[in-house]
Amino acid sequence: MMAGKSKKRLGRIGNEPIGYVFIAPFYLFFLYMVLLPILNMAVNSFTNYDLYKTRDFIGLENYRNLFQDSIFLQSVWNTFIYSAMYIVPTMVLGLLFGLWMSRESKGFHILRTGFYLPYLISMVCASTIWLWIFDPSAGVVNQILRVLGWETYDWLKDPDMAMGCVVFISIWKNMGYCMLIYLSGIKAIPAYLYEAAEIDGASRVQRFWYITLPMLQPTTFFLFITSCIASFNVFEQVNVLTNGGPLNTTTTVVHQIYIRGFTQFKMGYASAMSVMLFLAVCLITLVNFRFGNQGQDTDIG
Amino acid sequence: MREGRGVALMVKRKKWGNCLAIVLLSVLCLVFLIPFFLMILTSLKSMPEILASRFVWKPEKWLFANYIEAMKKGDWEVYFANTFIVTVITVAISLVLNSMAGYGFARIPFRGRDVLFFFTLTGMMIPQQITMIPVFVNLKNFPLAGGNDLLGHGGTGMINTYAGLVIPYIAGAFGVFLCRQFYMNFPVSLDDAAKIDGCSRFMAYFRIYLPLSKPILATLAVLKASQTWNDYLWPLIMVNNNEKMTVQVAVISKFTTEYSIQWNLLMAATALVILPLLILFLFTQKYFVEGIVATGIKG
Repeated sequence: MMAGKSKKRLGRIGNEPIGYVFIAPFYLFFLYMVLLPILNMAVNSFTNYDLYKTRDFIGLENYRNLFQDSIFLQSVWNTFIYSAMYIVPTMVLGLLFGLWMSRESKGFHILRTGFYLPYLISMVCASTIWLWIFDPSAGVVNQILRVLGWETYDWLKDPDMAMGCVVFISIWKNMGYCMLIYLSGIKAIPAYLYEAAEIDGASRVQRFWYITLPMLQPTTFFLFITSCIASFNVFEQVNVLTNGGPLNTTTTVVHQIYIRGFTQFKMGYASAMSVMLFLAVCLITLVNFRFGNQGQDTDIG
Repeated sequence: MREGRGVALMVKRKKWGNCLAIVLLSVLCLVFLIPFFLMILTSLKSMPEILASRFVWKPEKWLFANYIEAMKKGDWEVYFANTFIVTVITVAISLVLNSMAGYGFARIPFRGRDVLFFFTLTGMMIPQQITMIPVFVNLKNFPLAGGNDLLGHGGTGMINTYAGLVIPYIAGAFGVFLCRQFYMNFPVSLDDAAKIDGCSRFMAYFRIYLPLSKPILATLAVLKASQTWNDYLWPLIMVNNNEKMTVQVAVISKFTTEYSIQWNLLMAATALVILPLLILFLFTQKYFVEGIVATGIKG
């Protein structure tokens, strides 16, 4: 859509090299910090680079080791588990709250702020607060369980519980984002569609099912894609809350990259991991470019 | 008559429904925000009180001194100053670079523009976690920085410098995208008029476009400021000394010993780290929300 537009403009006005001057300052940083690093990463993934001395080509050895590295395979599995548990609940909650909050009144505006407040703070701050809430002895969750006479848990150190807690915190923090995006999507649905449906005698459920949901399809798709990419790259909460433990049940791909790269300085090996992650994200991006514009072109006028 | 009563009843019912919804959602909202209340209440308690077997919401004595004590664990004035400096520099440079590039992509026709912009879009989709290894290597081996030679060997490069923190942030492409979207909406006749009046592209940018782009720049500034202030990954990697540490890294490293965590001080520090952002939010709420929503608008 944008290619067509700009071609028309190019034809009409012509080529003005001064444009390069405008984009150059940004583009230099962009080249150096985003595009070149991807090439570097690909090259380094075939070496045994350790940041100091050696940087010899070792062919595919890093990749071969990768598929025999049980911790890495576990981290891939964990990342999928995290994504599976995180994406759908966050989006469903975001949609629900978006629908509830879409009414225009002062009260709802204040409530909205409350629900996206966790999204504004840093993941580190959110994690430290929950670290205390889940603390086995002083934490409020166990205190309440104790008062009720129920069993208490060492939440973040229990292999069965830890990942659930990490997911729960992430949902709590990012639900507000989905809500805001859905809200703006809901606002963009023309009111006359609902009026027409009401005249035709459509029930509330029908209106939601046949108008709201289909009209929100591009929003849903966008949120799904970005949530996928974000959860493939989950790191901060893991590093603060569990540091990958207990028994590697919460270590994720990015956490492994961090550990291998910045604590063991196996830059070549960590690069190979990054390449795998990059390919995964590329795949998602391709899906996005392929299907991303579906539903957006539907003319409802 | 009958119809009128029906409508009145419906309006009444709608009003009641609205009230009920507000009450229910308010309760839900309070539950949702319990972690924040707990943070503040805990930050005002004493350690024995926190570890006591019976949990009480209200602190026995409101120990505001905890906040002062928390700030004495490490050089917090340095951490706050560092984070503040990095945030301000990042925002300032980003605004200039992004609005210029956004203008170039939106208004000036030049060869290869679409390809270059496509790369920018693709780059936007790649999270910093993926490129953190090569970006770190690039900055560490930056020629002539931090005792490096021309080939980038021998020194520490940009490790433990403000530049090492700022450069990766300003390379983010989202601002360019945002500004481009904004400038695309200007009428073409504006450029034509400027051209007829003998206005160069630079003059048009500075005299016409820049003065009109306050709302988008405000949105971008707020978005960038909150991202930079909240970032943890990058300072964690780039900084390994006390002098250049930022608040997000300090908050998790200063209150944890091997055996115990000083919860009251940790919560006090957490609250103080959140505070500047909250103040910014109070004054620029509109731009904040616009910035968040803008991340959801795609080309």
